[in-house]
Amino acid sequence: MPKVTYIDHHGMATGVDVPVGENVMRGALYNNVEGIAGECGGALSCATCRCYVDDAWTVKVGGPASHEERELLADVVELDAAEGALARNVRLSCQITMTPALDGLVVHLPAKQFF
Amino acid sequence: MTIDPAHPVPPVLPRFAGPEQIPPHVPKALVRSIGLTVGEAFLAAPHDFMARLHETMPPIFYDVNEFCNAWQLIKHEDALFALRHPEFFSNEGATPFPRDPDDYFYFIPIEIDPPAHRKYRNIVDPIFSPQGVLKLEGLIRQRANDLLDEFVDKGECEFTTAFGRPLPVSVFLDIMGLPQDMRDTFVQWAVNLLHSNDRATMAEAMKVITAYLKQAIAEKKAHPDEGVVSRIAHAAPDGVPLSDKEVFGFVIFIFIGGLDTVFATLNNIWLWLAQNPERVQEIIDRPADINAIVEELLRRWSVTFSGRVVAQDVEMRGVQMKKGDRVTSILPACNFDPEVFPNPLDVDFDRPRKTILAFTVGVHSCMGGHLARLELKIALQEWLKRIPRFTVKPGAKITYRPGGVVGPKAVPLVW
Repeated sequence: MPKVTYIDHHGMATGVDVPVGENVMRGALYNNVEGIAGECGGALSCATCRCYVDDAWTVKVGGPASHEERELLADVVELDAAEGALARNVRLSCQITMTPALDGLVVHLPAKQFF
Repeated sequence: MTIDPAHPVPPVLPRFAGPEQIPPHVPKALVRSIGLTVGEAFLAAPHDFMARLHETMPPIFYDVNEFCNAWQLIKHEDALFALRHPEFFSNEGATPFPRDPDDYFYFIPIEIDPPAHRKYRNIVDPIFSPQGVLKLEGLIRQRANDLLDEFVDKGECEFTTAFGRPLPVSVFLDIMGLPQDMRDTFVQWAVNLLHSNDRATMAEAMKVITAYLKQAIAEKKAHPDEGVVSRIAHAAPDGVPLSDKEVFGFVIFIFIGGLDTVFATLNNIWLWLAQNPERVQEIIDRPADINAIVEELLRRWSVTFSGRVVAQDVEMRGVQMKKGDRVTSILPACNFDPEVFPNPLDVDFDRPRKTILAFTVGVHSCMGGHLARLELKIALQEWLKRIPRFTVKPGAKITYRPGGVVGPKAVPLVW
């Protein structure tokens, strides 16, 4: 099963198996990885599951998957500012679906998902 | 105090009601009695009433009424804060349903604060996730068309009983693994529980629902199936089976949360569609935008409220709230906050996407939200395919049900 490594804002890494077809937000929630809220459950409504794709993975993962994801991310730029250079790789983790090609994916998690 | 979900005890929280029971820390200037969900002005046009609160009320005020005095939040930002900070705004004891104190149970997971609530959500989230509910798409389309078959040639129907009521309840029964012949009985129970506005009727409804569900759970324990009742009855998070109290509290909560809300949402939306044929045409002309259309309709026609109990003293906008105070987010009003949604009463399918509060936010965000979105989408698509033009029956007078789920009593349509 593909593995995702979540690195929290203190730098602590947690590796989790996430099945193909499942998304990176649920991978965190089902395995009690802190740092992702995922309030709306993947409806593109809440923007509380943002993550920063590690530089080594941005090409494979790609940018926002939809107009809606881009609009929601535009609303959290203030929160992103605290994350420095990583902010350029921001995605909503519910919109990253696992594929075999993403085995080994590394994402960084913000200090907070909302104020 | 952290509660033990397996061993429920009635909360000892004070419940204040009426003008004689206003705590001394509540400033007189913030006290109002707006008749939310029951007053004449509210019932005349509930959503307009809730939108107007932004002009007529302070952003946070203290409503005094005969059921439960509480702080009221109407700003989008304030509701997001309250719903996202369980350390200040707890769900324990915040659900105002009468229960037998000698056979007490918690509504699960709504009355369980984090982190304990997550283990319950993990049991059912896979079924209610976007991918999970998509498996039901074909069945929901079929059920919608079966209902349409019954009245499409008649040229008229009473929407709430012909479609708005039976569609979500049938789908719900399928998901739960409960028999379809219970459909109308379930609806009547829910109406008595949520709309009677009478504590004795509510208590009686609770009694019959309790007896039925306990028997259904016992049956699923003996004969497991794929339904949600069975899944909960057999769940064992971290290897520990749920107690009887947890199973019951979980099943009855889904029953209450899932039965009436989609029903009311559809009724509100179909009334608006019938009054706005040019907007119906717009929906028909923009099939690729159906998801944005659904989201905007859910914003404009949210149907419910979200209650909390203050867990530790907190200040919002200079207002002091004390531990034990009750707080209600008036979700439809928050969706009409003009600072977030300009011209809030306009239905605009091209609004930039913002967090809507139809399903609340925070850890207790509605688990059925994806199902509700899918049902609304399919209902729109299938109905408009077969009845693209319809209006409210001439002479029909629209009135609203009092209670915590907002919608018209009846919506007579002709085409």
